Amino acid sequence: MAPSAPDLRPYLEELERFADGQMTVAEQAAFEQRLEQDAALAQAFLTYEQLTADVRWVAGHETLRLRLESLDRRLTQRDVALSRIKQQQRKTQKRWGLIASVAGVALLALWLLLRPSTSSVEETWAQYYVPDAGLPAAVINEERRPLLAEAMREYKEGRYPTALFTLRRVPTSNLGQDTLLYYTGIFLLSQSKQDTEKAQDAQTFLRKVTQQSGSGLAPKAQYHLGMAYWFAKQPQQARAALQTVANDASNPYQQAARRILQTNGIAR
Amino acid sequence: MNTSQPLAEVLTSLRVGNQSFLISFYEQNRGLFARWARRHHNLDAPAAHKLLRTVLVEFYDQVVDGRMTKLPPDLRAYLYGMAGEHIEVASRTTAVLPVAEASRRQYLLGLFRQLSTDCQKVLMYFYFRGYNFEKVAGKMGFANSTVARIQKAGCLRQLYELRLRNESATT
Repeated sequence: MAPSAPDLRPYLEELERFADGQMTVAEQAAFEQRLEQDAALAQAFLTYEQLTADVRWVAGHETLRLRLESLDRRLTQRDVALSRIKQQQRKTQKRWGLIASVAGVALLALWLLLRPSTSSVEETWAQYYVPDAGLPAAVINEERRPLLAEAMREYKEGRYPTALFTLRRVPTSNLGQDTLLYYTGIFLLSQSKQDTEKAQDAQTFLRKVTQQSGSGLAPKAQYHLGMAYWFAKQPQQARAALQTVANDASNPYQQAARRILQTNGIAR
Repeated sequence: MNTSQPLAEVLTSLRVGNQSFLISFYEQNRGLFARWARRHHNLDAPAAHKLLRTVLVEFYDQVVDGRMTKLPPDLRAYLYGMAGEHIEVASRTTAVLPVAEASRRQYLLGLFRQLSTDCQKVLMYFYFRGYNFEKVAGKMGFANSTVARIQKAGCLRQLYELRLRNESATT
């Protein structure tokens, strides 16, 4: 507004009532007439119109500024809240991660502590079992008992089914009953790794030998019978049979039996 | 720009006081603009947000004043350019433009901000939003429309007298 503009103050109330439509019909008609006749009022009216137009512009400008500021506050609050939530989620994730790790380590430790022995009964059994060496060549007398010699050879080579087959072809007149029963049991027991039922079958033959108190093979049969019980998962019978062996100083398997009983190998 | 309003209608709606386009623009581009301002002008987020608000208000003024008669083909680029100019001007000089060179409306804007918050609100409701006295009374918690009318008249008088006082002080 130029400095020479008229002072609106004397006219302001009237101009506002006119502009805001607050005048009665008669008042408005009279005011409009005065506007045409009174130059100072007309000038004041123009100044007022310019002022209100400027105020309208200012009001629009300020409205937008304030709306944007208000929106900015809301968006900032939202951002802060979101970042707080993310932080909290990260903390929770870290905490759960730590808990899971600790639990995992604890479970691993527990498992290592309580895990069942990796070696199976068969493996433990094999660690303790002392196999029969077979009949020596001098005893076999190959020329007289070629089938027996062949059976022993096959046994030593680990061909147990063939060895058993050959042994059964040896004439009973050519071989003592206890020897036949004993080695049948031994050959069957040797096959038990491939077929666990063979350990049960071996028991029958070995038990018969142990019952022949006069046989020199009875003590050895007692040991192999105990081992056959063990393999067939009959620990009580195995322990009893091996205890007999351990108590017999003349039994060639005494040390082997004692070792089993002392280390409680059967219970593993 | 991702706003539902067709660009052709933007200028028209802004001129009749519909500011929703710029509000949406701010909401959608605030974060993006802050990242741009940080990369190109090393501005922190609050300063960048303030700059974008200033630029949008300035753009609005251009439209309402009639200085902007055609929407720029790439509005975002145009606004970013305005922001860049703002930063350059600010880095060259921080001096306030002399009163004599300020436009009449900018001058009145300064005076408007000296009014009480209630007065500013009443004048904004009446002169920009176009609320009648009854609605102004409702918004402001006045007893009735007469009170609103008296308040509005008082506020306008205050603004006018403020201007008179400032003019007499400078002459």
